[in-house]
Amino acid sequence: MNFGKQLKEGLITQNPVLVQVLGMCSTMAITTSIMNGLGMGVSVLIILTASNVVISAIRKIVPDKIRIAMFIVVIAGFVTCVDLLFQAFVPAIAESLGVFIPLIVVNCIILGRAESFSYKNGVGASFVDGICQGLGYTAVLLVMCFIRELLGAGTLAGFRIIPEQFPVGILTLPVGGFLVLGCLIAAMQWALSKSKEGK
Amino acid sequence: MSTKSKEKVQMDPAYIIKLTVTLFVTCVVVAAALGGVNAITEETIDRINWNKTVEAMKKVIPEAADFSDPLELSDTMTAAAASMGGTLDSVYEAQDANGEGIDCYALKVVTSGSQGKIEMMVGVDAEGTVTGVSIVKNSETSGIGSKVMTNMPTAAGIGVLSQFEGKSAADGTLTVGANVDAISGATVSTRGVTNGVNAALAVAGVLG
Repeated sequence: MNFGKQLKEGLITQNPVLVQVLGMCSTMAITTSIMNGLGMGVSVLIILTASNVVISAIRKIVPDKIRIAMFIVVIAGFVTCVDLLFQAFVPAIAESLGVFIPLIVVNCIILGRAESFSYKNGVGASFVDGICQGLGYTAVLLVMCFIRELLGAGTLAGFRIIPEQFPVGILTLPVGGFLVLGCLIAAMQWALSKSKEGK
Repeated sequence: MSTKSKEKVQMDPAYIIKLTVTLFVTCVVVAAALGGVNAITEETIDRINWNKTVEAMKKVIPEAADFSDPLELSDTMTAAAASMGGTLDSVYEAQDANGEGIDCYALKVVTSGSQGKIEMMVGVDAEGTVTGVSIVKNSETSGIGSKVMTNMPTAAGIGVLSQFEGKSAADGTLTVGANVDAISGATVSTRGVTNGVNAALAVAGVLG
């Protein structure tokens, strides 16, 4: 198990959003305010880590033919638990994320990691993978939220930074999501190809 | 493609039973875990939801001390709401400190905004006049439609939700542009809220 390498993969070289291009829908939809991004990032991190561990633990007894069905049952179970717990104990976050919490079930990052990593690796490595990939996802969400909330709404975590008449409202719309995400992916690919050339 | 069609389908009954049993057991275990979590959280969630409802109702009927349990909805009430483009969710009667009904009603109606459904609470007093409007749940665009949801002032200087206070069935059907001011850029959201108020007034008309 190599924590440093996995962390680098999750955050940079195999970043779930910018390199694997997974989980686009939620990335686009909820990144309109920092608090949303943080709430979503943390819930995905928790669910991803938990489902990675469970799937890795049961990987030897899961028949190959029905593995996807089993993964989905496990993931859906964790998502529903987190959804209920959020509603009961942090209602503010549950309210602002709304339907996007239940929709984590179909977030392809989680199924993707189950299929490509935890189904083939041990419990410890899968646990670390869940945390690293979750951090990578959260980091991208926060960057997107920062740009979109600051320039689109003129606030950060609800506090007004830019006076109301200046912000570019379009950035908070889906169009703005596509634009910001496109620029981020391009920047990431550029940086990755640069560092490859350097070697 | 060719390799796929040549793949032999395994019809061994023992294997199929193994698949079924594995999947079934997983589902049972997950369902049991969910049942456990639900049992822990159900009460808290119900309480939070009821508190939220009461808070929303107090906002629209400030003089109320408490509220009745939801009234039974009649077909005429739901039809009245539907004719104005809204869906009636529930009706509560406001009570004074002694638990007596004061003939004011809080109506929860659902209408369509620009991004999905808007759940809103409308308070109507004994004379059929709107005492307040508040939004319970919405998914309007942050920074645009959300201005309507947070009662930002319109060009006329009055909060877009506050402008409904004092309106009654006597004003006729409320229409954006005629007797309701929209927030610039958020006409669809304003229209949704207006439909909700119209629906609530129609239901209040049925209640008498």
